[in-house]
Amino acid sequence: MTFSLRTVLKLNLRFILTFAWYYGFRTIGRGPSYVVASMSAPLTLLFLVFILSHGSLLGYAIVGGFLTLIANVTLQSSGDAAFLRIQLRIQDLFVASSMSSTDYMIGLTLSYLVFSSPGIILYTILGIALGVFVPYGVAVLAICLLLLLVGTAAISFIISGAVAHVRNVWGIAGILSVVMTILPPTFYPYTYIPSYALYGLSLSPVTPAAVLVQGYMGLAPVMPVMWVVLILDVIGYYLLARIMTKWRES
Amino acid sequence: MIETYDLRKRYKDGTWALNGISLVADKRVTSIIGRNGAGKTTFIRILSTQLAATSGSAFINGLNVMGEAEKIRKFIVSIPQEAAPIGVLTPQELISLYLVGRGNSLQDANRNSKIAMAELGIDEFRNRPTDTLSGGTKRKVFVAMAIASNADFIFLDEPTTGLDPISRLEVWSAIRKIEGKIVLTTHYMEEASELSDMVLLVDGGLVLEKGTVQELMARFDGKVRIEGTMVEDPDLKIGTTMIKYVNRQDAQNYVDLGNAAKQVSLDDVFITHGVEIES
Repeated sequence: MTFSLRTVLKLNLRFILTFAWYYGFRTIGRGPSYVVASMSAPLTLLFLVFILSHGSLLGYAIVGGFLTLIANVTLQSSGDAAFLRIQLRIQDLFVASSMSSTDYMIGLTLSYLVFSSPGIILYTILGIALGVFVPYGVAVLAICLLLLLVGTAAISFIISGAVAHVRNVWGIAGILSVVMTILPPTFYPYTYIPSYALYGLSLSPVTPAAVLVQGYMGLAPVMPVMWVVLILDVIGYYLLARIMTKWRES
Repeated sequence: MIETYDLRKRYKDGTWALNGISLVADKRVTSIIGRNGAGKTTFIRILSTQLAATSGSAFINGLNVMGEAEKIRKFIVSIPQEAAPIGVLTPQELISLYLVGRGNSLQDANRNSKIAMAELGIDEFRNRPTDTLSGGTKRKVFVAMAIASNADFIFLDEPTTGLDPISRLEVWSAIRKIEGKIVLTTHYMEEASELSDMVLLVDGGLVLEKGTVQELMARFDGKVRIEGTMVEDPDLKIGTTMIKYVNRQDAQNYVDLGNAAKQVSLDDVFITHGVEIES
């Protein structure tokens, strides 16, 4: 798998959008459980945080829920990527064509983003209605979500390319979902944990993204160093995906 | 044209799937026939750039499948043996998506997929999710995909496995209409005989023989296969299953002794190489 300026310029946008349209949008009606599943964990945690904190941590839970939603959905896509590769042999079909691995990866990720769009709309409404969002913070949130999408998509493809049996990927994705999206300070202030733990948890790109969004939304002190951490996470996972994910089997 | 030179493949578990295949194939339809595990799928996957070879080289139209895969992929299509459609997509969506990935416009992709599905008699299913279709229809969806691609080289790995006899005939008819060159693998001797301009008989990761069906069958001209046990013939061992090829006019003598006389087929080429064929 390669990702460079050259491959970006050569992207088959028509394929990517068709993939997202067919596999993302059109299948929502045929399998709505995916949409509900993508929202269930963040909304449940939002409810719990609201009850347990008597509403005081609601702002954190809303911005954290946003990040969790995107990261969860993208991590879960590893299951589909493995299923398409191992069980359906669809990846083999695509390999022996002029399609590139980058087109395929972005198409699949975008399809999952479409699944999560009802959740994104819901969280946007909640964020605005409850006065959590501030304009500058929203811009940071958008950038963080984009970087998070790239980072978790790379992780997702590393997992899907590494497993030999489809069944394993469901378990791995489930574990990573919890470790990477619930343990990090998504639903609580990052100031609650010591800085060494914060950097430890930064192996998940969700952690620096959450710290940044909390800071720029005015919920906690701004910690600009987390931009560096987030970008390093994204680049690191991308490079790993590039090394570990093979388009043609060896 | 396909050329391979001492092509070998060893899997991570140590299994040698290909043991040095060297050949030139330039006919319109080439069939690779052999038992399960003979190396057919490995061979076709390497040729269609899905799998890396361990050693040796292979070329399609002069392009190296290892070093120039991107160029080759522009004019080939390969349908894996175990390919299954994405269940939530309809045949129309699946084929169109594939064609758009190959560079077609969505409009062309939709049109070509409809024509291909009509040709295979599955047009009525085109807007149903594929997980509601029968196994045979799902298989036909992939054949339709290959046809709709209008590729110069089409690799079909067991395209009719699991199809009923009528569906098989429909697929054969569609394959005959394809303009590009076709390489297909099959278990069915009849299929190879019906469709091929060249047949490769593969076993143990090697090509045992290659040629047109007529060339491969020439040694059996005017002969029939005698199968039997317990016959009084000095050439045959009593108590063992034996096969003998005799002139047609002599067959009755063997039949009178309780043996069966059978029409020769491509099976017999394998048998002469010592490959056991289950009846």
